[in-house]
Amino acid sequence: MTENSFNRRDFIKLSGIGLAVAAGVSTITKVEASEAVKGEHQWAMVIDQSKCTGCDQCNLACHAHNDINPDIQWNKVLDAGEINGKKIYLPRPCMQCEHAPCVEVCPVGASYYREDGIVMMDYDKCIGCRYCQVACPYDARSFNWEAFTGDNPVVPEWGEPEVERRPRGVPEKCSFCYNRIDRGMAVGLVPGVDAEATPACVVVCPTGARAFGDLNDPTSNVSQILRKHPSYRLRENLGTNPRVYYLPATEEEIVEG
Amino acid sequence: MKIIFNTIRENIRTPWGIWLAVLSMFLLSALVAGLSVFWFGLSITNLTDLVPWGLWITIDLSSIAVSAGAFSLCAGVYLFGLKRYAPIARTATFVGLIGYTMAMLALILDIGRPDRFWKSLVYWNTHSLLWEVTMCVMLYLTVLLLETMPILASFEWLRKKYPRVAEKMEGVHHYAPVLAIIGLGLSSLHQSSLGAVYGVIKARPIWYKPEMAVMFMFSAIVGGIAMTLFASMLSARLTPKAKVNDMLVERVAQFLGYLMIGYLYFRAWDWLAQTYTYEPGRTEAFRLLTSGTLSFNFWFGEMIFGAIIPTFILLYKPARLSPFWRMLGLAMIVGGVVAFRFDTNIVGFLAVISYLPGEAMVSYTHYTPSLVEWVSGLGIIAYGLLAFSIGVKYLRVVDHRITSEEHATVRVNAGETVQA
Repeated sequence: MTENSFNRRDFIKLSGIGLAVAAGVSTITKVEASEAVKGEHQWAMVIDQSKCTGCDQCNLACHAHNDINPDIQWNKVLDAGEINGKKIYLPRPCMQCEHAPCVEVCPVGASYYREDGIVMMDYDKCIGCRYCQVACPYDARSFNWEAFTGDNPVVPEWGEPEVERRPRGVPEKCSFCYNRIDRGMAVGLVPGVDAEATPACVVVCPTGARAFGDLNDPTSNVSQILRKHPSYRLRENLGTNPRVYYLPATEEEIVEG
Repeated sequence: MKIIFNTIRENIRTPWGIWLAVLSMFLLSALVAGLSVFWFGLSITNLTDLVPWGLWITIDLSSIAVSAGAFSLCAGVYLFGLKRYAPIARTATFVGLIGYTMAMLALILDIGRPDRFWKSLVYWNTHSLLWEVTMCVMLYLTVLLLETMPILASFEWLRKKYPRVAEKMEGVHHYAPVLAIIGLGLSSLHQSSLGAVYGVIKARPIWYKPEMAVMFMFSAIVGGIAMTLFASMLSARLTPKAKVNDMLVERVAQFLGYLMIGYLYFRAWDWLAQTYTYEPGRTEAFRLLTSGTLSFNFWFGEMIFGAIIPTFILLYKPARLSPFWRMLGLAMIVGGVVAFRFDTNIVGFLAVISYLPGEAMVSYTHYTPSLVEWVSGLGIIAYGLLAFSIGVKYLRVVDHRITSEEHATVRVNAGETVQA
């Protein structure tokens, strides 16, 4: 170093202070960013495993209404063992977590919370890094490895597409049919009560295994069911606080498919 | 045109010409592979929803890791005042620039929407570790570009044709201490947050631990220094254009040996802690490393040949003094860090944890990179080798006779030839 150079000690001091301030600011903003703003409604879904017969109609309606590639499932219906020889199932939509790992990790903020608790995807912002897929504890996200072109085989039998197809190179997932909720509420309908404002899978279910409604409203369908029945959520130990509740299958209530 | 043709014809039979021809072949096939990835999309890879990050991420993580010599050696030279190691730091800076551009190439292949790459700079989620890594890497790449300005200024053609520009570029070296401090800050941030990218993922217990950041940082420092020393020694053996001061290299190699003890200490505790108790998902994934499909990589790649043997080589004086054994030890450390990065990434995906209540907790999946991933990945490595070779041949990247003081006094007039 020559005469015009810096005093090393000063510089270290200065940069130390700078780093400390930067670290402080970023910690504060990070804590804030992880908290979702909660609005008037908090949508939730209850799935009664005693009533689910594994017929897969929810999945078909989901594919039609959201125009999903047949290779992708937003709402996988999984085998979940047997009780006394009767098969039980576990349909798995997106859990719409209150503390969603996918939202926390997305570098560009393409995954975000709506005020009503729905975890949204901005398919135009997404760069396709797949970190959300890596972070999701429920395997709820599917990547568009290829573009979905051609006809949707379940349209029109199971419904008409209500949202745009996602492009190649972004992951997609269940959105609680936010579009149905928004459109329905705009004309004064109540999600969970009126079919037009309720997610397609809930509407189509032939055994009524699914209920949908507002957790903030104590009189809503879901609030009442959750008060009366024991329920559980998936991987609760992770603290993600999912908004999809399951009523475990019991021997006496089980419906055979 | 004729001149170019003649140059090619003159050089093609020399080892340099053959080397360039081999690298060009790799680069050309990678160009085809890369373009087909952009055209057909990621469906032509073997990546799946269960293993969304594979070979390219390993190349990305590894090239950033072996670039860490730039910040650690520059910190040593400019912050701790170990000025005589400046020529090694110079090489490390150039290696760093190459490594980070390699990482950029791997990432652009890997993301599903390469056309939206710029969005990662415009839209910020400050809560995301990947955001922090992106920002730090971009800023650090800028720092590295500035740090390599004096090196790029020694390009003979530039000095002849634009002496004033070359002089300006060379002048950047006055700011080397400032750049070293900024570089140190940015590097320590993102080298460790690269580990934290994995360390914060609750869904995958094998990753979910705070020491992930520490181990990434530590392995990057040893890998980066080893890479710089190895590349310097190898170039000095292959071309008279590269000159190393063996005494300097030997001292840094000894220091690296001590660092390796620290690295082994962390790895040993990490290993012991994971064997202590059964943790669903974590234990199964860990067994993949110690006795499953990844056990060869883990024991031989990461541990025995990747860390233990090279530590002995670098700390046992007769072995360290022999150029062959020292180079072997250094190469082993680089290999060990690459193996660590590969295993760490893949192990979190191979053991799939079920979210069903009352079900068997873990199932297993597979991943073998596809041809297209290999060809494009090898092309990225070929680019790195090509860039370093050109640096050695034309920019005196490995030349331990250069000191920064000399640098300041060299003034070149138009038309004058610079003595290499």
